[in-house]
Amino acid sequence: MFDQYLIRKDSLQNVTEDGKVTGFKFAVRIADYRGCFLSLHNGYYINVDGTEYPRNLQRFEINGKAPRSFEEIKTACWEHWNYDDEGWVYVTKEGGLSKGMHKIGLQQSILAQYGYMPWDEEWVKNPPVPGSGAGAGKTETICQFDLELQEC
Amino acid sequence: MAIKRGVSLYSYQQEQFFGQMSWKDQIREVRENLHTDGIEIIDEAVIRDYPFPSEEFCFDFRNTMARYNMNAVTMDVYLDVHQFRDHVMTHAEAAERLKNDIRLAAKLGFKNVRPLCLVPIDVIEAALPVAEECNVRMGKEIHAPLPIFKGDKPQPTTGMAAALDFRMTEQILELADRTGSKHVGIVPDFGIFQYKPSSVAIAYTKRHTNTPEAVDFILKNSANYGPDEIHQIVREKYPNHDLPLNAVDRMALHEMSANPEDLRKIIPYIVSMHGKFYEMTEIAGKPGQYEDACIDYETPMRILKEEGFDGYINSEYEGQRDQQDMGYENLPDSREQVRRHHEMLARLS
Repeated sequence: MFDQYLIRKDSLQNVTEDGKVTGFKFAVRIADYRGCFLSLHNGYYINVDGTEYPRNLQRFEINGKAPRSFEEIKTACWEHWNYDDEGWVYVTKEGGLSKGMHKIGLQQSILAQYGYMPWDEEWVKNPPVPGSGAGAGKTETICQFDLELQEC
Repeated sequence: MAIKRGVSLYSYQQEQFFGQMSWKDQIREVRENLHTDGIEIIDEAVIRDYPFPSEEFCFDFRNTMARYNMNAVTMDVYLDVHQFRDHVMTHAEAAERLKNDIRLAAKLGFKNVRPLCLVPIDVIEAALPVAEECNVRMGKEIHAPLPIFKGDKPQPTTGMAAALDFRMTEQILELADRTGSKHVGIVPDFGIFQYKPSSVAIAYTKRHTNTPEAVDFILKNSANYGPDEIHQIVREKYPNHDLPLNAVDRMALHEMSANPEDLRKIIPYIVSMHGKFYEMTEIAGKPGQYEDACIDYETPMRILKEEGFDGYINSEYEGQRDQQDMGYENLPDSREQVRRHHEMLARLS
């Protein structure tokens, strides 16, 4: 659900830290009809122009707090990502993205469930790697976006 | 007394997502354009900063409901067993979440909560004293592919359906009868009377597969195969197909999961009902009258009327999500869909 709208179209931009371009970011919404406890957010499958950027290169900014790694997000078990709210996905990439259009493939992983499932213990030990469809919540496909890098 | 009409604000999720309707706009739509008073909410979608809303939010909610003279019927509550991530939530912890949700529902003025069909029965029982204390009824959802009564239906052993206990309704009735409590019951969803895939789901599935002819094959032949067999035959016939398992299941739907006649035995236990629908289209030759061509509403509603059911049926529009991959201009109008649904509910009530 919300396939084409998970990334805000005019949100792709490079990230500058201490005067250096350290990566890029874009704004996302939750691929569900409700919000979630933030701890359930398990990262993204992100592919930009054919290159994959795994979870350890990703950080997530929400609720007015500085961007957090998904290891840190995992511990936010009493914090909530409200349905109405936009979050920012930060991806570490030295030098950032080049000017112009980029092809982004995205799948969001939210470990929201409706109750107990046979894979529960396995997911505690080995959470699904985003991209497989497991733990992909309400949008199982990898959604494709053509986005133009915005000037900061 | 007659069947009452309401709306689950789930129906307006798309408009809320795009910032076109706030929860207050949604409540006003139900009052001013549907001329009715029943409101159901998804807790996490409406309650700002769930599960710790501010006093201001709670008062604002009750105040808005009062302003439009509305009835807070049911609050839909959830069970995410991975909340703590370092362990699977225990049943005792699940009961704590449910109790907290019940207290929150009472604070917002709701008469009922709807725990999901996968919530274990002992979790429901553990929360029952709090439901009594708060005077909030718990209605466990009967959601497809569950039947009302299992009868001689086999318990599925694969896929999502395997996790659902097909004796769920019996378990709830047993709990209610054993404890004598009026605070435990069920919320049947009209999705259990769906007898074929919706046209919007078929179109979505075809747009997202390399083998649309496999979808046509399933639609034509699913009635001839068991639920496990259909996966096997599709794999044999179209070895390169990329349909996910649940897409095959969705396309293979060819009969109602529940028998409408079974409603007769559960009327006193019904807390409220979900009026699930996917697409309301005009009935041929009947201008201004609408139906969902894949869900039987006529038979269950006739039975509910015959049995004197006077609770709420709350619209639950779900067809939008199969149309959100085609650009802004192709998005459906949920308001119009729900208005059509209420034309039908009012006509069949």
